[in-house]
Amino acid sequence: MRPSTIKYFLREGLSGLKKNLLMTMASIVAVMACISIMSFSYCVASNLQHILQQMEDSIGISVFIGGNPTSQEIEDMKSRISEIDHVLDVQYISPGDALEELKADWGADEDIFVGLDDSNNPLSHSFQITLDKIESQNSVLDALKGIDGIDNIRHGQTETELIMKASRVFNIAGVLVMLILGIISVMIIMNTIRISVVNRRVEINIMKYVGATDWFIRWPFIIEGVIIGVVGAIIPLLIGIPIYAKVISALYSYFPVIKIIQFRLVGDIFIVLFPMALLFGILLGIIGSVTSIRKHLRV
Amino acid sequence: MIWLNNVTKTYPNGSRGVEDLNLHIEKGDFVFIVGSSGSGKSTLIKLLLKELEPTSGDITINRVKTNELGRNQVPYLRRNLGVVFQDFRLLPNKTVYENVAFAMRVIEAPNRIIRRNVPAVLALVGLGKKGRSYPNQLSGGEQQRTALARAIVNNPPILICDEPTGNLDPETAWGIMQLLDDINKRGTTIVMATHARDIVDDMQKRVVTLKQGHIVRDIKKGGYCDEA
Repeated sequence: MRPSTIKYFLREGLSGLKKNLLMTMASIVAVMACISIMSFSYCVASNLQHILQQMEDSIGISVFIGGNPTSQEIEDMKSRISEIDHVLDVQYISPGDALEELKADWGADEDIFVGLDDSNNPLSHSFQITLDKIESQNSVLDALKGIDGIDNIRHGQTETELIMKASRVFNIAGVLVMLILGIISVMIIMNTIRISVVNRRVEINIMKYVGATDWFIRWPFIIEGVIIGVVGAIIPLLIGIPIYAKVISALYSYFPVIKIIQFRLVGDIFIVLFPMALLFGILLGIIGSVTSIRKHLRV
Repeated sequence: MIWLNNVTKTYPNGSRGVEDLNLHIEKGDFVFIVGSSGSGKSTLIKLLLKELEPTSGDITINRVKTNELGRNQVPYLRRNLGVVFQDFRLLPNKTVYENVAFAMRVIEAPNRIIRRNVPAVLALVGLGKKGRSYPNQLSGGEQQRTALARAIVNNPPILICDEPTGNLDPETAWGIMQLLDDINKRGTTIVMATHARDIVDDMQKRVVTLKQGHIVRDIKKGGYCDEA
């Protein structure tokens, strides 16, 4: 394709959009809505996934043993737990270790533990179990119930299940809403391009008589669609970046508790979201324009 | 150059456009297609432009059987055919120069050739100084000259004219006819559908007369026929 031809297509595409400004705006807003929803659901789903991963790494099962077991009993129990399927690692934590850990966690406030030492330590002997994946929690819990001497089992099951469910719901809802908005966007773009085609039907007619190929006639309209798609995708992304950064920092400062979990960084999110949204916007534009020119090309 | 073999066109509603046409037009011919409304002139023109498909029979243009052409090849067939219509069909928002250059641009001619050929063709049709005018600033005759310039700027071997003088007064029409005669003398084959009895009588070219979709008369050199 000649550079002059490409220039011609771009000029014609832009002039088509300008002549038809109101519909162009409507199409861009439709694409923006679609891309915004897509970006929002991606941000949420991606963060939930990220949090879930952190929990998989950190949350295992804690098993507490009552009374004062001998070191032989502790060894036996450790090896029995290690034999359970999906258990990656078992760590014994003595009451002394637990106390030290607790003091370290509280940092500056460790004063409240003053007076507690090995002789009057209220903490139990425990095992910290690491699992291969979060989904295996239930089967491991069942197996643990069959072991004698276990006083108490603590695990993050409800939290992880909740997050897993939320992330699934978000994924499905996001895709559904995106699909509906996508169809609406394509329909609005189709209408816009159709008006542009009708505005130029004399021109198209002459083009056909002097021997322009169908593709030559199509290109300016495809470019119109692509421009709508690109603009409709870039605006919400540019607005989205600072909003995401603000929301994350607000969450950290209002809920200090969640400092233990990490949200995804702005860069990590948008390096994926940017090309994804751009591609999706362009796709919407192309589908909209190609479907609306098809029937107007017959002369 | 143009061959029609037993060409019949029946419209979907059953009405007949042309029936069993056999016509041979040689390179360099100037042929008038005459006949009253509904005689099949427009159908014949549309068949030549491959705007319509014949129901049966075949059409050969420039050694290419047009009924065997795929949709993608039609544009290349049309580059052999310049077309002029009664209603000019100029783009109102483009200047005379741009209207003519448009025909070259859409077949992706290089800018260099466009800049060379458009002024030459405008001079040929007598619009050398009107390049910057818009169609609504031109007279009917000048508009048709612009359309003619657009039709011949890509140098097609065949020029098809559908009532090119239909909207013009006799004097202006005569100017256009002289221009067509000049173009014909440069070697372009011209097929012109018309109602204009005076023009046909004065030009003394080949005349093909259609009546109810049939060729009823075909003379090498002559005038309009009353039968039509």
